[in-house]
Amino acid sequence: MSRAPIFHFNEQRQELVQAVVDRVIAETRDPVLLLNDAAFHEIRRLELAGDQDAVTRWRKVARMLGGLVNDGGRGRALELLREQALELAHDINGNFDRRVHYFASRFLPAGMSVFLRPGIIAERNPLEILKGEALAERIVSSGKIAQIRRLAELGTVVYVPTHLSNLDSPVFAYALQASGLPPVTYGAGKNLFTNPLLSFFMRNLGAYRIDRRLKFELYKQVLKTYSSMLIERGFHSLFFPGGTRSRSGGVERKLKLGLAGTGLEAYIRTTQQGKSQRVFFVPATINYMLTLEAETLIDDWLQEQGRARYIIEDDESTRVDRLTSLARKLVQMEESCAVRFGQPLDPFGNEVDDDGRSYDRRGREVDPRSYIVDRDGKVTIDHSRDAQYTRELGEVVMEHYLKDTVAMPTHVVATAAFALLRKRMPNADLFALVRRRDESVVPWRDLIDEIERTQRRLLDLEGRDAITLSSAVRGATATEVLGDAERALNGYHSHAILRSREQGVALLDPKVLLYYQNRLAAHGVAWHGGIAR
Amino acid sequence: MKQLAVVGGGAWGVALATAAHAAGSSVLLYSRRPHGDLPSAVERTEDLAALARHGRTILLAVPSTHVRELARELGDHLDGHHVLVHGIRGLVPRPSSDPSWEGDELATISAILREETPARRFGALGGPVLTEELAKGLPSVMVAASHYPEVLEEVRENLAGATVRIYTTDDLLGLEWASALMSILGIAVGFARGAGVAAGLASAFAIRGVHESARVAIAAGAQERTFLGLGGFGDLLAAMSQNARPEVRLGEALAKGASIDDAVKELGQRIEAIELAPRIAEFAARHKVAAPILTTVAEGILGQKSAPELVQKLMSAPISGLA
Repeated sequence: MSRAPIFHFNEQRQELVQAVVDRVIAETRDPVLLLNDAAFHEIRRLELAGDQDAVTRWRKVARMLGGLVNDGGRGRALELLREQALELAHDINGNFDRRVHYFASRFLPAGMSVFLRPGIIAERNPLEILKGEALAERIVSSGKIAQIRRLAELGTVVYVPTHLSNLDSPVFAYALQASGLPPVTYGAGKNLFTNPLLSFFMRNLGAYRIDRRLKFELYKQVLKTYSSMLIERGFHSLFFPGGTRSRSGGVERKLKLGLAGTGLEAYIRTTQQGKSQRVFFVPATINYMLTLEAETLIDDWLQEQGRARYIIEDDESTRVDRLTSLARKLVQMEESCAVRFGQPLDPFGNEVDDDGRSYDRRGREVDPRSYIVDRDGKVTIDHSRDAQYTRELGEVVMEHYLKDTVAMPTHVVATAAFALLRKRMPNADLFALVRRRDESVVPWRDLIDEIERTQRRLLDLEGRDAITLSSAVRGATATEVLGDAERALNGYHSHAILRSREQGVALLDPKVLLYYQNRLAAHGVAWHGGIAR
Repeated sequence: MKQLAVVGGGAWGVALATAAHAAGSSVLLYSRRPHGDLPSAVERTEDLAALARHGRTILLAVPSTHVRELARELGDHLDGHHVLVHGIRGLVPRPSSDPSWEGDELATISAILREETPARRFGALGGPVLTEELAKGLPSVMVAASHYPEVLEEVRENLAGATVRIYTTDDLLGLEWASALMSILGIAVGFARGAGVAAGLASAFAIRGVHESARVAIAAGAQERTFLGLGGFGDLLAAMSQNARPEVRLGEALAKGASIDDAVKELGQRIEAIELAPRIAEFAARHKVAAPILTTVAEGILGQKSAPELVQKLMSAPISGLA
């Protein structure tokens, strides 16, 4: 059993590319079909993008394919396929760009760079370390940490956390390190690598690149194989199964799991090879008192309701001033960010214990191998069966998201404030509520009562293991919770969100309140009306 | 060699065992009492461990009220390689797992199997098949549903033959809801007959009933086409074509003024749709789905209105949906 050799990741990368391509080629039945599909999609995409050179290259490939459909052409077709697969695998693997590194290390604000890349601490002067640690202390990790530490020795750990912000991956990486857990590899959108700020730390996180524009089968094959081989080799991995950041601010209610499904493939393949690499899925939540991109995300969500979303290339995370402003704000708060590690699961959604043994919902031990055998007792890859296992795993992961959501003062106060807004406009729909431009002032007493009511419901849910409360919510009075939320919300966002006045509390931005209250909507605590994703 | 285990010594379980035997399977039946009507090659056992060893595929044919208890017991002997297929009409109330809803929710049989056993490869049987016809070896059509193609393969291999045709779908939840809701509509069919509703109007109620059942089940995650096909409308047509289904007889007795207790006593068997109907009416109301026919059945069962009143109510219900 290999021991998460993340530190050898960069060494292994070139050899890995070759191994990925070899497997893709070995498993291709019809190379012409695969190349045709790639050419068709790429020509269409590149024409729209106006990249004439690339279009010409693909046209040439497409023309050649015509002559290769007979048996004699298979060898040449496989050669062509190998070239294309190699190029794609290299692209996923990524290149280390020294210029980006130079830029990022010179111009990143000191406190932020420590925040983003904790490993750097030792290289900095003591004053900066202090700043960095002050911030790092604000990230509170909790959950099944000791168990996961043990499982990381026994097999590969695949983390599947909720996704709210582009800060999630550095925050998660920090939480892993602070918890004594080994680091992870993960796939990040290629668009994020064009952003020097993000690219800087992502490379150091062992990130590889996913180009979401590429929709053809060959790319999917190469990407899946790459991911599966990482897991087979014992690289602990991180996937955001929600796909993109939650636009609404809500906990994911639909999961595709997608690439995370390669965890099952890796388990099956290693079992077939007689050196079974156990794979443990760990649901986790990343919870923020303040979300860096809250305003952009909720805007996008409102605009794009029901339509296909575009990839946001430019938001708060590309702006150094917003990052530093957030960092400053986060330092002032007790528990500004909470990472909670949930119950480890096997690829079939069974809970596992400290020794990696699987148990069904009635506590019976079950052999995970029994799920991947066919009628003759042979271990097989069966794509439709395995896709269904992965869908069902997604459902179990979502149950854990709810339990492991950490409710913070901003969520609680937004929930209470939004409830009062709705009481004022009982017949208003989502859009009428958030487009309200005149400011509503609610009596202080009403808001406090509503916060207390919300706290009581949350405590009840926590008692039933249905949610987790941050210490700033559990042990605090409603007045304290309101104070915390007000301090957090005002000053970071582009304008004040709610403000205490003599005549009551002014609710200044229902949209941002909606965003924060959505975190508690799936729990039935906050308003449900605006949640889809 | 094809191997199939069947759980349930009622008429339906015996009919399934008989059909599987006819299709060339080696069948082991779990039942606590001997059966004179079984083909001699079908063996009987009272040992669930032996049943689980017989083969990977197990058919469940027990009342929905027993399924949890049975699955928990059977689960001790299962692992991930087993295929569990049920032919059980019904939905099982259980405390909601959704924190935003504090009442009961309706779980499908396969959801109960998921909770109580380590198995995953589940499937369901439904459609216009009638127990007596299947048992006699008359040509029959069934629907099998599963998310796992290999489960559908297993069902086909063990049951399909010269006299049994099996259509398949991946809408497992849809078929389970369809089977349950068609049993409620079966009461409506009998009720209409007993109340002397003319054939044209009875047909109209039937097809409207299927449409509204689909709307209700869509709120639970089902697909509409499952209701319009063999597992929904096909199943209901089978119920309408004869008087054998107990739900139909119950509805008829209710329309003629019998109390629910008397009607059940007269039939001499449990009708699960009786408890299910009010729960479905409540589910539809909670999800804001118009369900006048299902709701009317629930009222009829509760004895709140007379037959003519109920028919009158349906005739004046607001028209929703396409014709």
